[in-house]
Amino acid sequence: MESRRLPGCAARICRVLIATGLLSQVSGAEPPPPPRVAAMALAAGEARFSIHPSPATDEYRVLGAPDIGAAFTEVSGIWDGFDWTGAAAGDRGFFRVEAVPLSDRDLLTATVLNRLAYGPTPDDLARVRGAGPEAYIAEQLSPEAIPTDLDVLDATPRWTRVTASGLGSASKIYIYLNDAGEAYLDDLRLVAGNSDDGSQPNLLRNGGFETSLSPDWRISPNLIGSARSPSPVHSGNASLHVVSTEAGETQGSSIYQLITPDLNPAQTYTLSYWYYTSSQRARLTVRLSGSGIESEHGMEGQENSPAPLYARLQKGTATRADLRAWHLLHAIQSPRQLTEVLRQFLENHFVTQVSKTQDYFDNRGYGSAESERLAVRTEFVENVRWRDALLKPDVTFEDLLRISAESPAMIVYLDTVTSRGDGSNVANENYARELCELFCFGVDNGYSQKDIEEISRAWTGWRLELVDPGDEFNPFAARSTHYLDPNVTGSGLNANTNVVGVWAFKYRTDRHNNRSKNIFFEWNAAGQRGEARRVPARYGPPWAGRPYGLTLAARTGNAGMQDGYDILRHMANQPFTEEFLSVKLCQWFVHDGFQVGYDFTDDVTSPEEELVHACMLAWENGNPRGQLRPVLNVIFNSELFRGHGGSLQKVKTPLEFAASTVRALRARRPDGTFTAESDGYGLYNMMNRAGRMRPFDRAEPNGYPEDAPGWISGGTLSERLRFVQAAMMPPGMDGKDDAGAATRIDPVGLLQLSLPASSLQSAPAVADYLVRTLFPGEGAANLAGYRAIAVQFLDTGDDGKTSSPLASLNPGSSAYDLRIRGLAALLLTTQRFQEQ
Amino acid sequence: MNILSRRSFLSHASTLGLGTALATLTDVPFVLQRALAEGSIGQPGPNGRVRKLLFIFLRGANDGLNTVAPLGDPGYASSRPNIGLSEDPAQPVARLGTVPFPVAGSSAGTYSHPFALPLGNGFAALHPSLKFLAPLYNAGHLALVHRVGYPRQSRSHFDSQAYWETGAPRDDRVKDGLLYRAMVESGLANTSPLTGVSIASSLPLILRGSRAAMTNLSDPTRYNLLAVPNTAAANRKADAALSAANRIAFADKRDRELLQLQYQNLSQTLELFAQLRFDEASNTFRDDVATDGDTEWSAANGGGYYLFPTTEEKNGGWARTGGNRASKYVVPTGAHDFFKNLKAASIVLNKTDAIVSGVSIDGWDTHSGQVDSKDEQAGTGAHTGAHAGLLRRVGWSLYALQKYFTRYADQCRWEDLVVVTLSEFGRTTVENSDAGTDHAEASVMLVAGGGVKGFVPGNAGGVARSGILNCGGPGDEIQPWQPGAKGSLFQAGERYLRRNTDYRSVLGRLIRNHLGATDDQLGRIIPGYADPAESLRTAGIQTRDGTAVIGEPDIV
Repeated sequence: MESRRLPGCAARICRVLIATGLLSQVSGAEPPPPPRVAAMALAAGEARFSIHPSPATDEYRVLGAPDIGAAFTEVSGIWDGFDWTGAAAGDRGFFRVEAVPLSDRDLLTATVLNRLAYGPTPDDLARVRGAGPEAYIAEQLSPEAIPTDLDVLDATPRWTRVTASGLGSASKIYIYLNDAGEAYLDDLRLVAGNSDDGSQPNLLRNGGFETSLSPDWRISPNLIGSARSPSPVHSGNASLHVVSTEAGETQGSSIYQLITPDLNPAQTYTLSYWYYTSSQRARLTVRLSGSGIESEHGMEGQENSPAPLYARLQKGTATRADLRAWHLLHAIQSPRQLTEVLRQFLENHFVTQVSKTQDYFDNRGYGSAESERLAVRTEFVENVRWRDALLKPDVTFEDLLRISAESPAMIVYLDTVTSRGDGSNVANENYARELCELFCFGVDNGYSQKDIEEISRAWTGWRLELVDPGDEFNPFAARSTHYLDPNVTGSGLNANTNVVGVWAFKYRTDRHNNRSKNIFFEWNAAGQRGEARRVPARYGPPWAGRPYGLTLAARTGNAGMQDGYDILRHMANQPFTEEFLSVKLCQWFVHDGFQVGYDFTDDVTSPEEELVHACMLAWENGNPRGQLRPVLNVIFNSELFRGHGGSLQKVKTPLEFAASTVRALRARRPDGTFTAESDGYGLYNMMNRAGRMRPFDRAEPNGYPEDAPGWISGGTLSERLRFVQAAMMPPGMDGKDDAGAATRIDPVGLLQLSLPASSLQSAPAVADYLVRTLFPGEGAANLAGYRAIAVQFLDTGDDGKTSSPLASLNPGSSAYDLRIRGLAALLLTTQRFQEQ
Repeated sequence: MNILSRRSFLSHASTLGLGTALATLTDVPFVLQRALAEGSIGQPGPNGRVRKLLFIFLRGANDGLNTVAPLGDPGYASSRPNIGLSEDPAQPVARLGTVPFPVAGSSAGTYSHPFALPLGNGFAALHPSLKFLAPLYNAGHLALVHRVGYPRQSRSHFDSQAYWETGAPRDDRVKDGLLYRAMVESGLANTSPLTGVSIASSLPLILRGSRAAMTNLSDPTRYNLLAVPNTAAANRKADAALSAANRIAFADKRDRELLQLQYQNLSQTLELFAQLRFDEASNTFRDDVATDGDTEWSAANGGGYYLFPTTEEKNGGWARTGGNRASKYVVPTGAHDFFKNLKAASIVLNKTDAIVSGVSIDGWDTHSGQVDSKDEQAGTGAHTGAHAGLLRRVGWSLYALQKYFTRYADQCRWEDLVVVTLSEFGRTTVENSDAGTDHAEASVMLVAGGGVKGFVPGNAGGVARSGILNCGGPGDEIQPWQPGAKGSLFQAGERYLRRNTDYRSVLGRLIRNHLGATDDQLGRIIPGYADPAESLRTAGIQTRDGTAVIGEPDIV
């Protein structure tokens, strides 16, 4: 990399001449603007000025010279924020401020983890800094080569470890299930401190259940069948076999132990145990009395894993909350981050609304819960189909568009399900309109009302039917004749609730409009067809002037279904679609300031216009046309994306904010657990409250906004900030519910993994580490202010006044834990964490 | 910058090559938006105060014909034998003048009066559950606009609510809300902490849009930040540290100006809300008179009924001594949550710069049990049932708002406020076999406020001006109500009331004449407003479906 300087500009003010300059290490990326200098003064041998910061700057240097022609050398002075004071010889001096930028590699590392992923994790930051962001881009563009078993349910029973830290609220420990059921537990330990490395003394008696349960463990009547068991065991000769006849809740309905000596309510302890997985429904709770340590989970194992949810979704028994949790867990955990980001793009581009689908089933004889499960399944199927398609190296936009068109969720959402064009029926225009306006061409771009009417006639007969599972993707299949109860008589036999099958896309020939269709033609006032319309001149070569009319001959029977597919194929690769989708992808990955409607032939160009044009060419020139990966490659290799024009130029949506909050402090411990976990469910409340982001359930067909004004207001920020604070709270703290009890973040655990033990009590070291980890694209010099606030926060008591140096807090203590949690929360509530 | 007009900025901008994309005010930097805005939405008037709007959305479709009933039309009684309201033998509907207020006194149930309340125009009558509207009506602070709808009425709740909220019936291209656009036109949407506020579980479409975030307070008592540890002192420590962080300069990026402003808005709002009391303990707002003749509740005894019935104890004539008396409630107990929201919406308008706030009442989809015989408070009869319970919420709401913005007025007084009800469509003229009504077309809008043009008494108890539009009586000369078998009640599909007023004309009138929009702004706020074919402003034929409409009603 070559260093270069911008030419300095000189101005004489107060007889101080200040030039600003830039020491840059830019290869390819556009250099940032230099720091702006203001409020210069020179008096009594002292020079002062202020600067407005440059983006991504690691260091600001002040160089001085006695004369403009003389050599500039570094001048020492004092920075107070962005105000500089230094010595000047006599009453004149020449100064220049240089900004040493963040390296290109670090800048791009931050950008790719913010845009190709749901925000950086500490582990990803280290990995991408090491291997380089180019390697990350290449890896993410070929997700099929990234191994993942996130959705694989391990049904083999096995021993699984659980740990939970919290305050020693009371000296009683309870074990119970929330229903009738059974469980095996072994090696129950409670130790002082934030973690259990096995060396600390166990504060529980007979935690290994190696001796008779009595007198240390007492058993309440609902658990009276519980006993020591020789098999299975995790270690030693016995485990605890919990047998529950009804739900436990407190001491009188649990297996419990009175802990002696008493725990210190102000201190942090760590609970750990092993349990043997099973597929039963009852959930296990192990907790202290009061609101201290609490561990509550299902028995399926793979806690906080999407795998059990995936199994439920496949079986068709999942609720919308399960679907959202699955979606969020992938956003947080998937190694195929770009695929997850793109799946959200598709879900948002091809919007559907699970409650409308639920209503549809509600009106077809199903109860409310069953209707929800059926509706959720339609969302799940289209999402899995998109995900599978995205793993194909040559996946095209047409592939993705077809999945949407065939999805029962879409068929219900935009009313094709009831549309008919046979006889004198007038087809519903809803799908045709959005196909033009929102899915392909963009509003008022290349189509007319007449085209919508013609297209709407093609989307007749696209309906739903209840078919055998093997026929799910056969639109000509007849209704299933497998009955739940074959002995029912009359029409009840064929009632939806008595038919075993899946709801799928069904083509009904008798509802289709069989006549010919002429799309994208000129029509005269008398209603006569003229010439095919031509691509407007503004597109330039190779598109301008191309005729793009489409004539579909009259078709009858099953062949009529081809009308729709012909239209999708035709529209998927028109320049209007290429432009509209390129613009949307650029808005998604670069910044919100792209728009449809550039004149690609005039002399006025902008980097945004050039990038859209390059995307369209990549789309057009592929074989097959319309491949997604070459378009993404153009975006990720553009100067706009790589430089300061793209870095941190977007605000997070509530979904991105939720996922990135968990990821920001999520590092893998040597034992395979993570320092930040979510069950996926607890994040939704904030998303809903902070602007009503309800994935899979948007009423409006235009998708959730991507731009900042759509999300950011005082009211929505209040919810975002409350969420962050709650997420950082230890379990059981009042207010924790705002982020869900199962959102467990352990910033001290992260520090222990990342900093030498000797630095844990150093406020500057801790502040430095967290600030750099949470804001990797900003540059050390620009973060100096946050860092100073962080140091002060760490060295101040909870009252905000008393000096309470971090150095005086024991890293195992609750006070230390809360101080660090408070700091992490503070940093995540700042403006800079709203950005990506 | 103040001398720069919007027009000159736009022409200047286009010569600079910024292009024609500057179609809306949101395209200019928002620090300039107010300076460039036309009109006076959100600007103090001669009295130094801003004029405001509070909307109540009646979701599910209100039966306008049992709200303001056309008792003078013989078709009404014949098509509603079971659910129709009946005439009071002692107060015939033909009488002219004021609306009678059936005072319950200390012993009778609040809603024990079983007859419709004649509206004094010789034709129409009010549902007795709306009896608390009588004082408003008689004071001239209430306009009842009947036969309101829009062309090619959709009978889907989903679509029709959306059309009311976007202000663009049958046009799915319009994605953002009508009042959202009004707030954008104020030029304050991105700089004032609060402009448009909804108190509901989520932001309604009418306030939604992608260029400026309106505020939704699902629960104003949540408007405080937490801290770790979650104590008051630690919270102050976190606030102080965050404020310090907000003062740090950073390099310029696209959204940083917005973030800086909205963080400021957040801290201002937090400060603002810290001084407001949304909690239950502060709900001490009381009537100044013994409203319903219940002398136990009088000024002499410390005040009248609570204005916002958020608990049983604050619900109407809960005895000050001697325990609960459910028959004396002014609203059903299920309405307590709604009145929490209404209280918050009122406090926000009264104590902050917010221009618009809104609440909604669900449950108006009265396909069955619109009238029933199990009413806990008022015995049996057509004045009972689900619809009656819903109307009690509305009647008491308007009464209480008048009192609140009079007795407790701060930034907003009753004369500065208009309260308007919205509902997606009306219900069938003819009742169904389940003592209910189905989806239909036109319904009624209630418009209340100190500046509303309502009833004016004439000489000797007559009517100089009626507060009822389009339901018989003076003021309906353009499109008189036609009684009888082929009359207004049966004009569409033989069982739908046909509109003669477009809801957009009502809202347009309010947004221009009350809130202060210019005609140009109104054209942007309500698409098609300037189009003569829509006949929104003046009487004419709506060309989309050939229906004659009256244009704007003269209500403000």
